[in-house]
Amino acid sequence: MLKSLLLGAALGTSLLASASAQDYPTQDIDLVVPFDPGGSVDVTSRLLAEAANKYLDGVSVVVSNRAGGGGVVGQSFVSKAKPDGYTVLAMTSSVVTNPQLKGAPYKIEDFTPVAAYNLDPEVIAIPASSPFQTIDDFVTATKERPLNITVAGIGTSHHMAGLALTSAAGLEFNYIPANGFGEQLQAVVGGHADGAFWPMGEAMVHAEAGTVRILAIASDARDPNFPDVPTFEEAGLNIPIWATFRGWAVPAGTSDETVTFLSDLLKKVFEDDTYQEKMAAAGFDAIYRDAANFQSIITAYSNQVVPIIEDNGLAK
Amino acid sequence: MDQIALGFSELLQPAVLMMLTIGVFAGLVVGSIPGVNDNIAFAVFIPFSFNLPAEQALALMVGIYCAAAAGGAIPAIMIRVPGTASALLTTINGNAMARKGQAGQALSIAMVSSVVGGLLSALVLLVFAPALAKVALRFGYVENAALTILGLSSVVGLLSGNVLKGVISAMLGLLISTIGYSQVTGYPRYTFGSINLIEGIPFVPMLVGLFGVAAVFDLLRDQAQERRENTEAEKLPEIGSMRLGRTLIRRLIPTWLTSAAIGNFIGVLPGAGMLMAIYIAYDQAGRRFRKHFAGRKGEAKWDEGAPEGIAAPEAANNAVTASSMVPLLSLGIPGNSTSALFIGAMALHGLVPGPLLFTQHADIAWMIMVAFLACNIIMGPAAYIVIRTVSRVIFSIPKNVMVGVIVLLCLLGAYSDGNNLFNIWVALGAGAVAYLMKIANIPLGPAILGLVLGGQMEASIANSLSISRGDWLVFIDPVNHPISAIMLLAALLMWVAPALRGLRHMRANRCAKGQRS
Repeated sequence: MLKSLLLGAALGTSLLASASAQDYPTQDIDLVVPFDPGGSVDVTSRLLAEAANKYLDGVSVVVSNRAGGGGVVGQSFVSKAKPDGYTVLAMTSSVVTNPQLKGAPYKIEDFTPVAAYNLDPEVIAIPASSPFQTIDDFVTATKERPLNITVAGIGTSHHMAGLALTSAAGLEFNYIPANGFGEQLQAVVGGHADGAFWPMGEAMVHAEAGTVRILAIASDARDPNFPDVPTFEEAGLNIPIWATFRGWAVPAGTSDETVTFLSDLLKKVFEDDTYQEKMAAAGFDAIYRDAANFQSIITAYSNQVVPIIEDNGLAK
Repeated sequence: MDQIALGFSELLQPAVLMMLTIGVFAGLVVGSIPGVNDNIAFAVFIPFSFNLPAEQALALMVGIYCAAAAGGAIPAIMIRVPGTASALLTTINGNAMARKGQAGQALSIAMVSSVVGGLLSALVLLVFAPALAKVALRFGYVENAALTILGLSSVVGLLSGNVLKGVISAMLGLLISTIGYSQVTGYPRYTFGSINLIEGIPFVPMLVGLFGVAAVFDLLRDQAQERRENTEAEKLPEIGSMRLGRTLIRRLIPTWLTSAAIGNFIGVLPGAGMLMAIYIAYDQAGRRFRKHFAGRKGEAKWDEGAPEGIAAPEAANNAVTASSMVPLLSLGIPGNSTSALFIGAMALHGLVPGPLLFTQHADIAWMIMVAFLACNIIMGPAAYIVIRTVSRVIFSIPKNVMVGVIVLLCLLGAYSDGNNLFNIWVALGAGAVAYLMKIANIPLGPAILGLVLGGQMEASIANSLSISRGDWLVFIDPVNHPISAIMLLAALLMWVAPALRGLRHMRANRCAKGQRS
């Protein structure tokens, strides 16, 4: 009896072992979105998953929302997950800053980047009714008396974009932190704030609708949709690039083959026309940067923000 | 007119109309399940909506949104457990009526009020959206600060008796709302190192605990008492006749109109929401009742089965539904947390709410507007069917079985908001606190308003002062911020009026005593 049990157990383990030696993936991949359904990370993740499933055989990418703690709950969950490639994090810029700003219990090194699928450059947006016509008007005004600028929150990438402008161009602002984009939109369109620092992805439709005006974009090139809007460099603001990113990451320790597989999967998705169309319709600029490239984006971002956090005493 | 016709032609496609009807029925059921609300239902539904055409998905969501606000009243009346937070105040008079054997009447009042509130709200959305969006835009930081103070003050009218306990309760709510990341400074407060508390105590699970779990504790206590005293367990009320008399309808019309107006006003303003609407409407209806009907022969006391006490919150919460879409559709600014979920559902289909929606996807934009009208028309008969069939079966389940089921549903609902186990502890903890408050006779209402409004109050006051560079007079500036000044005056009246009444009462008593001696 005991023998047969042992034999069975041995057989079972060897079967399991051979199963794990099989090609990845053999089961559904959990794409953990650390926010509630309906936000921009959730929407892009679902568009990605839908397209990715066309290129997967028998298994699928399943979006699972693990919201809480401003993203920290879901991010920590992935940082502690088994590095087998079946738990993927929808990674955003906040992963870089959360350990310092919010005391998140992980380090950025706990994640291995897979690929980036969206870069969102920062823009300076003002009400359509604002007296400022150009970025120069804006700069002159804020030098006279710091303008009231609404941002997504103290310590967010957007607040830090303003702090970066302080050190790079000597501009001072009076920050009005808001809870969510809707609140900021209300303040800008209603003229209650002088302007806002927004990601292009969110500002775009409202600029196209004519309710807000974009004065400058923190990108290395002008946006084809807004050819008249200068870059920060062109406007003399001395910041070549300021962009938040969205991508995939897996727990550190995941095998290179798995990372490559996922990275290639995102590449196929990026080349999918329907995906491109849907991303554009939802207001997101679809890009693809492979794992190495994504790592350098993260490093560059980290180099930009870490000194700002330290200099301004934002760290906890 | 053409556009409204365009909206109808989109809506009248069989599949879309079917989804709207399914949404209405689903919403009534979702609303009437304690622990599950429209927020949670959307969170579960949005992923599926991906595979549906946009107009069908949005029609379904409109149906759920409107009907959930009505459905919450069913368990509120039948078992004193609000199905959604917005039915919180309906429990008081609704359940009192049901215990007197008028459950059918109470349900009818609730449903008719919901339909009236919803229809008026839909008309407001359809006809006045652009004009009202401009009004909503006038609400800046200063106005929002005044609005939260007005909302919190509306609770004074409800504090019959011990004002001190009410103030303690409100303070408790405000203090709890400070837990988590401070919007003003960016620092976490009172999180005790827990990552689950970074953004404060998770809100939806907390509401589920305060309303659902606490009510269950209450039911359990009743049962324990019955067992101890060996009395026959009080049966759940029978639904009975649902016919409403013509005099009653005529009598409720003013309450409906005022409450719907309040609901519409609150709905249009970004950031306010249903809870504030029901409190203000309830307060108003209470005043009217005391003035015209209280003390009449055969008339129930306020809080003990007055029809206005059901009509006001139910008309107000449904009046918030369509009107909260005014700033969303015309500007892209969500009116409340539920309408914010529409943004996500729309983005999945490549639609971005805002002025461009009406030029790029006019068919969908107008479809949503007329869907609110249509779904309120469907809702009347649908509610009747649901109450006559589903509810009748459910409420024939023995009370003790139902208690267990409600607890399970509450915990499931709490968990499914973010799929986080921590939420279950929040729901249980909030339930225990609410129950203890009830035992200590501390009213829960002020605490809830404090919780709902605390964060916004703190941030909008701080932001107003930041813009005014520290000048407190900005709130009563009659030139630049007249809206704020008026609202603060109204808030002041809410505090002063009962105090004056109390003084007059005291003096009268003293005179009477003096005469006697």
